[in-house]
Amino acid sequence: MPSTLTQSAAAHPPEAAASAIIRTEDLWKIYQMGVEQVAALRGVNLQIARNEYVAIMGPSGSGKSTLMNLIGCLDSPSRGQYWLNGQQVSAMPDDDLAYIRNREIGFVFQTFNLLPRATALHNVELPLIYAGIGTEERAQRALEALRRVDLEPRKNHRPNELSGGQRQRVAIARALVTRPSLILADEPTGNLDSTTSKEIMILFDRLWEEGNTIVLVTHEHDIAEYAHRVIHIRDGQVADDKPTARARPRA
Amino acid sequence: MHFKEAIGIALDTLRAHKLRSFLTLLGVIISVCTLVAVIALVQGVNLYVATKIGRLGLNTFSLNQFSLHDMTDRQRFARAVHRNPPLRMADYDFLRRNATLPIAIAASVANNSGTLKAQGQEMDDLSVRGVTPSDLVMESFHVAQGRFISHFDEQHRTQVAFIGPDVVKHIFPGVNPLGRHILVNGSQFRVIGVASKQGNVFGRSLDQFVMMPISTFRKLNGKQASINISFKAGGSAMVQPAMDQVRMLMRARRHLAYTAKANFGLIGSTAVMDLWHSITGAIAAVMVGVSVVFLVVGGIVIMNIMLAAVTERTYEVGIRKAIGARRTDILRQFLVESAVLSTTGGVLGILAAWLFTLLAGRLTPIPFSLPWSAVIMALLVSTAVGLFFGIYPAGKAAKLDPIVALHSET
Repeated sequence: MPSTLTQSAAAHPPEAAASAIIRTEDLWKIYQMGVEQVAALRGVNLQIARNEYVAIMGPSGSGKSTLMNLIGCLDSPSRGQYWLNGQQVSAMPDDDLAYIRNREIGFVFQTFNLLPRATALHNVELPLIYAGIGTEERAQRALEALRRVDLEPRKNHRPNELSGGQRQRVAIARALVTRPSLILADEPTGNLDSTTSKEIMILFDRLWEEGNTIVLVTHEHDIAEYAHRVIHIRDGQVADDKPTARARPRA
Repeated sequence: MHFKEAIGIALDTLRAHKLRSFLTLLGVIISVCTLVAVIALVQGVNLYVATKIGRLGLNTFSLNQFSLHDMTDRQRFARAVHRNPPLRMADYDFLRRNATLPIAIAASVANNSGTLKAQGQEMDDLSVRGVTPSDLVMESFHVAQGRFISHFDEQHRTQVAFIGPDVVKHIFPGVNPLGRHILVNGSQFRVIGVASKQGNVFGRSLDQFVMMPISTFRKLNGKQASINISFKAGGSAMVQPAMDQVRMLMRARRHLAYTAKANFGLIGSTAVMDLWHSITGAIAAVMVGVSVVFLVVGGIVIMNIMLAAVTERTYEVGIRKAIGARRTDILRQFLVESAVLSTTGGVLGILAAWLFTLLAGRLTPIPFSLPWSAVIMALLVSTAVGLFFGIYPAGKAAKLDPIVALHSET
């Protein structure tokens, strides 16, 4: 059973291998395109500690999306190792990856990816259904998650009755509800105007302050600036990895 | 836990596309309706026939010149005509003396093309019967007015008639028929009694008859015609022994060798019902075959629509997989959906069959009802069809790659 990060663990733990949420070693992803082999990732070595706030940047075709799919356990690497919260996930079969996605990762997507016919509350409940949690606790935890993104009054609205920002907040609540060890956001503001984008980024700040580990995939510099560390991917490799202006010195 | 969710999703989808769902389910609806209606009809008709045609009554059987088997084929019948001598009153007297197991015995002979004249009216195609004064004749009716034929009438070949209520309706409307004179096939009779009403079987009235003493009948019509002899056994367990005794007595009387075929027919009410069941069984088998074809077609349509649903909802599958749905979760969701779809079709089909039997019950005297066993079977079969034809689409959905599925949004 993976240890989940409790919300009370707000203290910033020291950067050490033991507390790493993400650790990759020589991660490769090779796609077979007809007779040709195309390497989208060429040996990525990464380490992201608990309660870090990291942005992954890179131009399209850099392998950024492939890396995000691997980090998010949506895909398996062709070669190399990947530990998520201490578990070796690089060689796991499909259903085990589904379990890991359910327990360890909270996804936030550019296009929100909510079920169109389900209410906000039901959308937030969804991961808990697959986690096998009973009806009552499910509703209670989903409500709590909606409260944390200030959307409790909208719990019975369907996605098409909500604004873009509100939809993304529902998606964030859904990511939070399982208390994952990692929140993985893929261009979370890509479909939002600048004001709403700012609101969402402030929400991510708050989540980080509450102790969550956040990995942000983006190609927008001003969005990446909210993070404390920016990793640049180019040609399937880590080209650059440095703290931003907001990086706080760690205790 | 997932089931409630999956059933909810399925019902949502049904509601969202009412017409499409109905068209999708048409095959299942028709086949289930046929299946259930045929079972209801066959059961209803069987029950009707058992109570009406099988009016030989409980624990009765009859001895005839020909067996039912002899009458199933023309050549067979021609052979039987040569082989089987007619039954005579002497046979009746012999059996009455020697058959100890039956508790009642009666002889009768009938002519179905009699004419009756009285009161300036005429009736054709009358069933004219000569009967012995036995209670056994009155298994299916009772005396409504007057009295039945007596031993005195039988012994003295009196010209008395016991008539059916249809005769009263046609010849004596509003008149008391007792004591009146009628002409049956040219001979004069005095009406002594009227039978109670029996109703129709397949549009043919059972109440259009004149009964007279069998001795009178044979005096007027000659003694060539074979008679029928009916027996009643004392309880259902005694039917077979009584039949065996009558068979043995007849074989002995006719000096049949051990291996020779019987040259008479012994027909129990079970034999009549067996013949009837073999006819309705054949009809039912054909209809069940037809409904199975419909069911397969219905299942294929469901499979088709489920494949479309999987394509339509690839994006949804992607979301569900991304947040932790395993293959089995997705598989189950789509399987439940197609099962709910086809079960809904089954329920609609049962409703249609129910309406149909209700209507048939109104328009005919046959007591139709939906047997519970047929309803439950239809539900199970329709659910099974949904599950079976849902396997392939559900498997396709379960195997979707979450990354591809997530990028399939429209």
